[in-house]
Order: sequence, then structure tokens, then C-alpha cells
Amino acid sequence: MFEYAPAVALLPFVSFLIALSVGSYMPKKGAFAGIAATGGSLLLSVWAFVTVSGGEVYNEPDLFTWVAAEELSLSFGILIDPLSAMMLIIVSLVAFLVHVFSLGYMNDEGETGLPRYYAELGLFTFSMLAFVYASNLLMAFMFFELVGLCSYLLIGFWFRTESAASAAKKAFLVTRFGDYFFLIGVIGVIATFGTAQFAGQESFPVLAEHALVDGETEAMTTFLGLGEQAWVTLLGMLVLGGVIGKSAQYPLHTWLPDAMEGPTTVSALIHAATMVAAGVYLVARMYGFYALSPTVLTFIAFVGGFTALFAATMGVIKDDIKRVLAYSTISQYGYMMLGLGAGGFVAGSFHLMNHAFFKALLFLGSGSVIVLMHHEQDMWEMGGLKDKAPATYYTFLAGSLALAGIIPFSGFWSKDEILFEALHYGLGNQPLLLGAYAMGLVAVFFTGFYTFRMVFLTFHGDPRSDTARDPHPVGWSVKVPLVVLGLLATFIGFVNMVPVADLLNMDIEFLHQWLDGPEETVTSVHHYEELVHDAAGFEAADIGPYLPGALSLGLALAGAGLAHMLYNVPDPEPHTEKLGNIRTLLKRNYYQDEYQVWIAEGLTLPVARAANKFDRTVVDGAVNGISRVSLDSGSRLKQVQTGVVTNYAALLTFGLVALLVVVGLYGGWF
Amino acid sequence: MAPPVEYYLLLSAAVFCIGLFGILTRRNALMFLMSVELMLNAANINFIAFSFQHGNLTGQVFSLFTMALAAAEVAVGIGIILVLYRNFQDVDVTKAATMRW
Amino acid sequence: MLIETLIAVTFVGSLVTFAAPNRWAGELAFGISALPFVGGLVMYSQFDGSGNALMGGELAFEQSAEWITLGAYSLNWHTGLDGISMPLVVLTTVLTTLAIASAWTPIDERQSQFYGLVLFMEAGLLGVFAALDFFVWFVFWEAVLVPLYLLIGIWGGPRRKYAAIKVFVYTNVASLAMFIGFVALVFNLPIETFDLPTVAQALANDRLQAPGWTSVSALKTGAFVAMFAGFAVKVPVVPFHTWLPDAHVEAPTPVSVLLAGVLLKMGTYALLRFNFTMLADVATQYAEVIAVFAVVSVIYGALLALAQQDLKRIVAYSSVSSMGYVILGLVAYTTYGVGGATFQMISHGLISGLMFMAVGVIYNTTHTRMVTDMSGLADRMPVTVGILIGGAFGYMGLPLMSGFAAEFFVFLGAFRSGTLSGAPVFTAVAMFGIVIVAGYLLFAMQRTLFGPFRLDTDYEVGPAPLHDVAPLFALLLLVIALGVAPDLFFDMIRDAVNQMPLVEADLGGGY
Repeated sequence: MFEYAPAVALLPFVSFLIALSVGSYMPKKGAFAGIAATGGSLLLSVWAFVTVSGGEVYNEPDLFTWVAAEELSLSFGILIDPLSAMMLIIVSLVAFLVHVFSLGYMNDEGETGLPRYYAELGLFTFSMLAFVYASNLLMAFMFFELVGLCSYLLIGFWFRTESAASAAKKAFLVTRFGDYFFLIGVIGVIATFGTAQFAGQESFPVLAEHALVDGETEAMTTFLGLGEQAWVTLLGMLVLGGVIGKSAQYPLHTWLPDAMEGPTTVSALIHAATMVAAGVYLVARMYGFYALSPTVLTFIAFVGGFTALFAATMGVIKDDIKRVLAYSTISQYGYMMLGLGAGGFVAGSFHLMNHAFFKALLFLGSGSVIVLMHHEQDMWEMGGLKDKAPATYYTFLAGSLALAGIIPFSGFWSKDEILFEALHYGLGNQPLLLGAYAMGLVAVFFTGFYTFRMVFLTFHGDPRSDTARDPHPVGWSVKVPLVVLGLLATFIGFVNMVPVADLLNMDIEFLHQWLDGPEETVTSVHHYEELVHDAAGFEAADIGPYLPGALSLGLALAGAGLAHMLYNVPDPEPHTEKLGNIRTLLKRNYYQDEYQVWIAEGLTLPVARAANKFDRTVVDGAVNGISRVSLDSGSRLKQVQTGVVTNYAALLTFGLVALLVVVGLYGGWF
Repeated sequence: MAPPVEYYLLLSAAVFCIGLFGILTRRNALMFLMSVELMLNAANINFIAFSFQHGNLTGQVFSLFTMALAAAEVAVGIGIILVLYRNFQDVDVTKAATMRW
Repeated sequence: MLIETLIAVTFVGSLVTFAAPNRWAGELAFGISALPFVGGLVMYSQFDGSGNALMGGELAFEQSAEWITLGAYSLNWHTGLDGISMPLVVLTTVLTTLAIASAWTPIDERQSQFYGLVLFMEAGLLGVFAALDFFVWFVFWEAVLVPLYLLIGIWGGPRRKYAAIKVFVYTNVASLAMFIGFVALVFNLPIETFDLPTVAQALANDRLQAPGWTSVSALKTGAFVAMFAGFAVKVPVVPFHTWLPDAHVEAPTPVSVLLAGVLLKMGTYALLRFNFTMLADVATQYAEVIAVFAVVSVIYGALLALAQQDLKRIVAYSSVSSMGYVILGLVAYTTYGVGGATFQMISHGLISGLMFMAVGVIYNTTHTRMVTDMSGLADRMPVTVGILIGGAFGYMGLPLMSGFAAEFFVFLGAFRSGTLSGAPVFTAVAMFGIVIVAGYLLFAMQRTLFGPFRLDTDYEVGPAPLHDVAPLFALLLLVIALGVAPDLFFDMIRDAVNQMPLVEADLGGGY
């Protein structure tokens, strides 16, 4: 099967070319090309998934040689192991569903520029799929950046509005700031190990492991006089820069809420389910490297835990349905980081998968609401949509239950596992993780609250506007993706029910088994678990999964219950207004945007202007000064040329006399 | 017994200095021309004196050349002075400074 | 003989164009410039040189003939191409042809003279990249400056005279410094020729003898400094850069294209040949100082670009920034570093050419280049704007475009440089340029291309004519092609670079 693997990514690329060149002449403006291509990718991904489940992996590091230098060649390859096979399906499935949904959301709404839209979607799907099965870090970086370009283009799809153009710029710039560190990391990895392969015996995580665990330090070259452990930690931190930017972790999270300026389909595909996942996926992809450095792991966990709580609190007071979802996205990616940082490779990957489905569902659901509401996004204008759009309501509800982490919906299982991982290593020998755990736990309450505040405000109570009383109907192309994703959000969590497995003492942790694939790529779960234990020195405490699970479920229910109390009434009031100063703080997003804008416009720009002034006056002034000095001295000197012959003759005479005197003095005439 | 060469040199130096003085102090172009002639003739005196002393004719021949040159120079010089007068209604050399700078 | 034919055809073509009537001089010049363009492609396809032009090995199209004897010194005609100069020759022919096409709209007076001068300049540029004898090289080097002076001085903007004189005097004074530095070396070598390979190999074999009043190392350092200063003006390296924005702002679009695209590369090419090949030991001795110049050029140039309001000035200052990467790559003395620097010359030539052309196309319709004067152009000229966005992302180093490949090679080479102490730190600081470049290009694009349409100059704005857009598109395709398959050029560049003295090819340099 694997010889068809390049087609997984190339099919959407073809649809990009088609939509770009002849899209405007096609029915539905290129949508069908995109649907066919992503459908094909989906089928091929499923085929790859089936093949991988047969125990095969595909690790072809050199499909296309980018630079064929003898001493260090750089190439593009494909790595399909359990992790990337899973991610391929997620990406191509969501992309396929979003393409279908776009028929209802974009085409039926009479948007202009649709060929551009479908071309950019195709380019995005191509880049994302290529990123997912990239076999080395350099290739991953390249497609990581291309994905960023597509995000820029799609956020700015409605470029005629100032806000979309500004949001697009902000998204690219903030992620670019993270990618700066990532690129240093990529170069550092290649310079250190001579390779950027993810998997196999010659891969950089394995070489680093040899150096750190087995003491074979000749496998790597360190720089700046740092020791091996410190250097690996530094490289890990540098690559993490890109992760933090792309996965919208604190402090580079500010671009994601603004990115909601793009079409909702784009928000679903890119800014929730797939592209934002790229950062977290990258951590999982090179987990063998991160597991070598307890410092970086703890840092990841802390950033994750903090972001989870931080973003959740901001989600509480937002009135725009897409903004609530945006902050919940940031928060959920924080959970994944927390899971991965706390040594829970399976937990983080599990939540990555669950979140992709339920968040795509929620965004598409909000897209459906937006269509219903004639492009009104303020939840205070909605209400009572439950009875008018039952398909949207029930699927949205399933997604919300999953997001809030209510048993038995998918989000519960993965969030619970993440918190459990953090707790049991925290109680073991990593007390720092307990802090991250605490933040994650508190965030559960806020998650439950803002999720159900959103559900109740949107769907329950009395309609609060004319459009809510008489919503615009939605078609099959909107409903089908919602139903598919709704089923997934409800049931996908059953693939890894750790507490149930523990209770029944049964071997039903399917995801764990799945990710524990063949040995040859050195990317299996039990290898990672060994590393976390041996190299990073994480010791687990022996605690049962029930009490922590019950605690987080209880908090989620408490949050949801509070929302029910406050907002599930016919005519809810804006209770958050009572928060006073705290509300202002939250409304202004803890002034994070302000200080970043200040760095860009209040600090860098004046510095640049000062540099410009310096350049014009001092540097160029010196150049012009030299020319002015020569001009001036020339015009002074030319005064000697009086034009009066007598003066010339006098000069001649005096010159001669002076010469004679000098010659006489030195020649000894006197 | 001919007078020694120093006397000729003194004479020539004196004539040269007179010519030089004329150039440095006079403003009349004609006086200029005459002063230049004096300086040229001072050089001629030197030529002939040394020619006489060394006993070869090169110096004398050269002074003949100088005289011819001086004649030509006067011709050109007077021409210039005429033009000068026509343009400036004067033969004052300090007035003719419009081409400077 | 191919090189000579190429130069001769271009030169004769320029004379013919001078004589042609203004009405169809543009089309004629385009046709004539297609000849060296095809010739360059033919040479590229037949290229078989695996050596380095100065350090020996197999050269392509090498030609040598006795010319004149000057005192004890013989001046010979000697040309040839290696993996470093071949891509530059191709770049020159490609960009000239496209620049001529882009001149059809903006140049509306004295066309025959304009196109004649452009072709004359092309002949000079080809000579600079092909010549292997110092005097031949120097004649071509100076010959490029004359048409540049006239092109800016006659067809330029309002301050064209100031700009033209500034360019001419500045670079000419610099040439003088460089000339003195080089001749000081030759006169103290026991050779009687200005043949560049002979000089380089004599220097490499330590045959330099210093006159009594100084030492060999002081002489080398002095010559290095003189030549570095001379070429630094041409590159330009901060603080010798101020002529560049003035020249770009005043120059008409096609001249800007050639100035940024090819003429700046004369400086980096000469630095590579003279300073970094001939005097490699001095260069490594002062590696940190040179790296500081490089890093300052990158960051300072980018900061200046951030403060500009004129689109052309933005691109001009960003050229200063990009040229800093070239210097950083050169001083690294690794295959990827020096090769990446050479690749960056090509890549920057294409991308900056693309940017200047795109800005020119916008200027043709809007008659302004000020960021504050317009917004929302994407609404009226979608194709041009699309290509401009592509070019801008190329400039920002978007992967699969040549800018990324070049910058990545430079960074990778510089990071593991064995001769530059603290190389990772220098690299990391220089790399911050990729954030600033994204900043100013995105800001400028947001203000000019997006948002609601507005134009303060009140001209009718519509899609640009095909002959304006086609060169842009061709350049964009080239940029993408080189980004996807950099080995189109990088392969031959590596061959030539690996034979430079002190260049470290093996992995695991570090210090």
C-alpha cells in the first residue's frame, strides 16, 4: 500500500492547482475537486491505517532528495507509524467533512472568491498531511511553515475588512516568532546529530538517547561548551518555541482568538482540529527526544497547565460564540501539553484525537448556528434555537458534553487520563507537576461552566432576537458532517477507557495498544515509557484512577450546574457583569494583546524609527558630510584663483623664493 | 680683457627684477607686456654671457630664438590687449576677472 | 568561446538598439536579450566544470589569450566559469530579459538609449562574472557603473541627479580602495601577471614577500581591509549602505530590478573571490569582526525597512538585510555556509527582482509608492497582488521557495562553523532577521493590499497588462522551482565551494 503514500498529500495539492486555475469555471467553484481529493486522501489514510494495524510501518527517509550533498544530504521522506496513521485519518476526515460543510456554509451563502477559498483549503490540506507524515524534522518544519501561510491566507479570506487583514498578519507574525526558535532548533538538531530523522535507529531521538543514556557521546556534537544533557534540553526548548506558537500556548496564544475572523469552516479545520494540533503533534512525534529531558517535560507540563486554566477563565465572559470556542481551544491544547509534559504520551495523543473531533464538531455546529442566525455571532442575540434546529442542537450538545468532560463522552476519558498522569507522577517524585495538575484541575470547573453557558445561551431559553425567532434553514451538507462528528465525539472515547479497564481488569486500552506499534521505528509507547522512567527519572506513585476521575467529573458537573442555574432560564441575565474589575481584566484578556501590540508598535517601531533617523542623519550624514567637506574646501580653495594676473605672478615669485630658501637651507648654500 | 661674467649676471638679475617689479605692481596691460619683455631680455643677457664664457654659440642661437618668440608673444599679447580693451573699455588687468569661479 | 560570444552579442546588440527608433526599441531589445538568455541556458546545460575558478580544477568554457604587456606585467584575456559564476551568469541573463519586458510600460522617452544602456550593462555584468584576469575583470567592473549612472541620472525620479552622482562617486572611490589593495598584493608576489588564478594560488602557497617596512601578515591584513571596504560598498554592508536606498528610490523599476538583482551580487561575488578565497587565512583570523558586520547588516537593515513608508525603500533596505546573510555564510567557511551564501545571491536576485517589479507594476497604475496613500489593492488587481504576496512570502523565507533554501543553508553552515567562535550565537542573532522581515512585509501588505479600497492619487486602478504580469509570474515560478529543487544550482555551487581554502565539508565542525 505504502507506495501510494505520497498521494495522500498530493491529491489535495492537485485540487489546489485545479481550483486555482480553473476553479471559477467549475460547478460549485472547485468544491467538488476538493471533496474528491480529500475523500481520496481519507480512503488512502484508512488503507494506511489498516496496513499499519497489520504490524507494518513505513519509514522511507529519502523519497525526494532536496540537497544531495555527500557529507550531509537533506531529503523529504514519509514516516507512517501508528501515531501518524492516526493523525492522517483525523486530518483527512476533518478536511473532508469541512469541504462538504463548505458547500452549505460558503457556496449557499453566495460568497465571492470561492475558487481562492477552495484552492487555499486544498493547499492547507496538502501541507498539513505532508507535515503529519514527514519523516524528518526539517521537512516537518517546512510544511509547518506552509501550514502557517495557508492559515494566514484563510484568516484573511475576507481581506476587504480591516479586521481580517489585521488578524491574518497577527497570526502569522506571532507564530513566526515561535518558529524563529523552532528553526534554530531544527538547525541545532541537524548540526548536532547530522540527521533530523524522526524514527529508526539513525534518528536523532535515538542518537540523543545513546549519548545521554548509554554515554556514547560521539553520537552528537554539542556547541557553546554545553554538556550533552544541557544541550539536549536547550534544543528541546528551542523546538518548543514553534510548538507554543502554533498550538497557541501562553504567551503566544494571542493570535488564535483573532483568527476567528476567518470563515467558520476555516476555524473548524485549521484553528481547532488540525493546524493548531500541529504543535502538540510535533511534541508527540519527537517524544523520544523530549522524554530525555525532565526539565523540558516539566516546562511543557507547566505551560500546558497554566494555559489550560488561563484560557478557560477568559472563555467565561466572552459573548461571541466563536470566541468562546477559540479560548476553549487554547485551553484544551493546554491539557494536551500538560499530558505530554507529564509523561503521558498516550493521554496527550488521546486527547489530541478526541479534541479534533469534538472541536471540529463544535465549530461546525457554531457555523450552523451562524447560518441559522444570518451571520450573527453574539450569543445574547440567540436563545431558543433548540427546537428550531434539533440536528444542530443535539450534535452541538454532544460536542459540549465531550468538551466539558462529562462521562461517557470522549473528552472525559482523555482529560481524566491526562490529569491522572500528572497526579501520579506528581505524587511520585515530581512535585512540580502537582502545580500543573492543580491548574488543570481548576480549569475543569471553568470549562464546564463556559461550555454550558454557551449551550444555554445559544439554544435554551426564549429567543432574544427576530432572527432567533425565525432562523434560516440549513441543508444536508451542513447536517451530515455534524452527525458524523457528533457520533465520533460521543463514542471515540471508548477506545481508551483506563478506569474501566482497571475496574474490569480487562485489556481494552485499544489506543495504548495501537500506539505501542512495531519496534523498528523506535516510536512505540513502551519505549517512551521506559525513557520517561529511566532517562527523565519520573517515578509514578501508586494511586487508583477512581478518586481523581471522580474529582474532575465532579468539578465539571459543578461548572455545568452553575451554568445551568444562572443561564438555563427563559430570560438569562448577563451575570458576569457582576464581576466588576475582574470582568474588565478578563474582557481585555489579561492585557496580553496590549503588551504584545506594545512590543510591536510601542517598542519596535520607535526603535526602528530611531534607527532610521540615525541612519539618515549620522550614517548618511557622514557620507554626505564627506562630500560636503570636499565641496566646501574646493569652493574655499578656488578663491585663490582671483583671476588677477598680478596675484598669480606674485604667488609664482613667492613660491620660487620660498623654494629657493628651502633648497638653500637644506642644500647647505648658506 | 672682458669684464667677468658676474657683472653680466648682476645686470641680468637687475633687469629681471625690474621686469618682475613691473608685473607685480602695474595694472596696465601694456606695462605688463613691457615688463615681460624686460624679463625675457634678462634671460637673453644670461644666455649670451654664458655663451661668451663657455665659448660656444648655443646660447647666442638660443637667444635669437627667444627674440623671435618675444616678437610673436608681443603680437599675440597686443592682440589680446586689443580684445581686452574692446570688451572692458580698459586695459586694466584686474578688471578682466569675469571668468573666475 | 561561448562566453565571448555571449558578451559580444550583447554588446553589439546594445549598439544596434542605440540606433533603433524609439517606437520599437523595447521589443527589439527584448528580442536581442533573448539571445544571451538562450545562450546562458545552453551554457548551463553544457556546464561541466567541477573546479573552482581560482583554486584550480576543471573549469567550463575556459578561454585564454595573450593581450598586451605592460612593463614586466602581461595582461591576458582569460575567462571561464565555475560552479559559483555559472548561476550568476544565468541570473544575469534571466533578469535582464525580464527587466526589459518590465520596462515597456514605465519607460516612455528615449527608449532606444535606455534599452541600449541596459544591454550594455548586461554585457559588462557577464564580463564581471566570467573574467579571470584582474584587468579584464576591472574594466568590466567599471564598465557596469557607467550605464548605471546614466540610467538613474536620465530616467530616474525627482532627485535622480543626486542619487546618480552618489552611486557613481561612492562606488568609484570604493573601487579605488579595492584596486590599491589588490595591486599591493600582486606587486609583492613573485609573479608577472594579473591572472586571478595565478595570484590566488601564489597566495595560497605563501609566496607573498613583504617589502622591508612591513610584514607579510600586515600586508595581507591591509590588502584585506582595503578590498573588503571596497566591496562592502557594493554589497552593501552597513555602514556603507546609504547609497542603496537613494539609488533604488530614484531609479526606474527595471533598473532597480537589475541593481538589486545583479549589481549587488557583484560585490558579494567579488568578496567571495578576492577576500574569502585569496585571503582566507585573514578572513578566518578576523571572522568574528566580519560576522559582527554581517549580523549588524541583517538586523539594522531590517529595522530600517520597518521604519519606511515607501514600498521601494522597504525592499531596498531589506536587500541590505539579505546581503548580511551572504556575509555571514561566507565567513562561516563551511560548504553549506559559503554555498548557501552563493545560493542566497541567486535567490535574492530573483526575489528582490520580483518584489521591485511588482512594486513597479503597482506604481505604474497608482502613481504612488507610499504605504499611506493606498489600501485594498487586492480588490482591483488580484493577479499582481497574488504574485506580490507570493514574492513577499518568498522574501520571508517560506519553505519550498528559494529564499528559505538559501537562508537555511546559510544558517546551517554558519551554525556549525569551525572557524567562527560563538557561531551558534551569531547565527541565532542573525536569524532574528526572519521575524523582522515578516513584520515589515506583513505590515506593508496589510496596509496597501488589504482592507477597503482607497487610493489618494485618484487614478483608475485595474488589472495590469499581461506583459507586466508575465515577468512577475516567470520569476515566481523560478523562485518556487529553486526552492523545491535547490540542487539545480546548489550542486555545482558545492563543487566549486568545496575547493576553496579552509572550507570545511565534513559534518561535526563545532568548536
